[in-house]
Amino acid sequence: MTTASIEKQPAAAPQQAAVPFAPPARTGAPSRSNILLIGLDLGTNKSCVLAGPPGSTDITVSKVVPSVVGYVKDGIVDGIITGNAKILYGEEALDQMLHVELVAPLDEGVISRPEAARDFMLHIRQLADPSGKAEIRAVVGVPANAGEQARENIRRSVQGIFSRILLIPEPFLAALGYRDDSRVRQSGYVDPVVNSLFIDIGGGTSDLCLVQGYFPTRDDQISIPFAGDAIDELLFDELNRTYPNNGLSRLTVREIKETHSYVGPSRKPLDVKVVIGGKSRTLELGDSVGNACNTLIDKIYPALTTLIASASSDSVVTLLQNLIITGGGSQIKGIDTVLQKRLADDGYENPKVRLAGQDFQRYVAIGALKAARAARENQWQVLLG
Amino acid sequence: MYRRICFLRSEGLTDEANRIEQTEFAAASAKARESAESESEADFLMKTLFAEEEARVAEAVALAEVLVPLLSRRLPLLAPPPRDPAAASVAPRGRKPANDEDRGIADFIEEMLAQERAVVR
Repeated sequence: MTTASIEKQPAAAPQQAAVPFAPPARTGAPSRSNILLIGLDLGTNKSCVLAGPPGSTDITVSKVVPSVVGYVKDGIVDGIITGNAKILYGEEALDQMLHVELVAPLDEGVISRPEAARDFMLHIRQLADPSGKAEIRAVVGVPANAGEQARENIRRSVQGIFSRILLIPEPFLAALGYRDDSRVRQSGYVDPVVNSLFIDIGGGTSDLCLVQGYFPTRDDQISIPFAGDAIDELLFDELNRTYPNNGLSRLTVREIKETHSYVGPSRKPLDVKVVIGGKSRTLELGDSVGNACNTLIDKIYPALTTLIASASSDSVVTLLQNLIITGGGSQIKGIDTVLQKRLADDGYENPKVRLAGQDFQRYVAIGALKAARAARENQWQVLLG
Repeated sequence: MYRRICFLRSEGLTDEANRIEQTEFAAASAKARESAESESEADFLMKTLFAEEEARVAEAVALAEVLVPLLSRRLPLLAPPPRDPAAASVAPRGRKPANDEDRGIADFIEEMLAQERAVVR
């Protein structure tokens, strides 16, 4: 079941040439030893890239990068920007925000600025393969229920940068990434791929996915265009109502959210020190933060119960023991206990909601790299050009 | 011969493709190289030939991907027997837990691709 469409209207771009089959390997093409596999979680706010060679479990690159491209403004004096670069990426772009035009390539989980997305992908490639010589094959996470246009935009953005690509829904990749492969055959280990429900709360979308030992169908996945960014927006508006002309930027509001976010009953006082007009002030944000974050619960709870209801009666009791929250939203204080209590209050049988843990930013990329290593030759989409 | 190798690879029959490439094709390739005026010219001609054949096969497979469902729709007599709608999703519920890790993930991907193909059709 789909509760919302996440489709974006793309900017005009030439038809790309991804083909759903693997053409023959070229004679003289890079040998297998020259292949580099990438697992990429392309997030609205942050992206995670892992890279490693095929046929091993080694991870040679592991980075989390803010999904932002900074185009250096005209007239910047030589030497201000290291190497007089014209384009900066990630943290470097944010550090130089005074001197660049910041562009976020994604909005609500899908590419909204194709040119910036392409520049960002070039940066991802540079991070993964500084030599520029490897043949890159990448598994890229996409929001659950991402439409064909959203997928096509990703393919276009990596054409000529990666040689092969596979697009796989993010919550399923999170399950793969969360799975402890070394313990799969151990008694007592609950394999999340066998029977679980993943709630991946990112910047642009919250994706919920039933994972029950087969690849989730469209009915097993729900994507909601309400996540971290939407909370930022609510908080930003609330702060402007409560403290007019506060001058706080969206970036500062996001930092406030990341530090103080919580759900459940109001936590007052929640005093936050900010600098407004060069002067330090303390704002009481208990209700503002709580109201904004509790909206997320109201958005995802119906989707959660819808998916639980769609599980078979044989599997649902075990499923209720394996409700797992990942992504940046898993850092909201109390989100596991609030969801668990709400389920219990509604009569669900002994529900257990867990947080994925400290690697929450990486599970999708870890799953993507596992998928890249396991993919058969004929499963890759070859990007011509 | 190289076109056949390309087709075999596009079908995932890499072992058979490699066998032909390393035996019959290697012999034919060596013979062809002898008739060239120089090693560099031979390389150039071979690479050109390979690129053409690879492109030809890729286009043929892509055309088939588009054409077969189109013909199936337009020429009902040629269409395969109707599928059981219940089976159309390709992913029967609770079909199997993945025992072999890599094989399991590849199977998941196969199910995903089958679902995507079903949606396109």
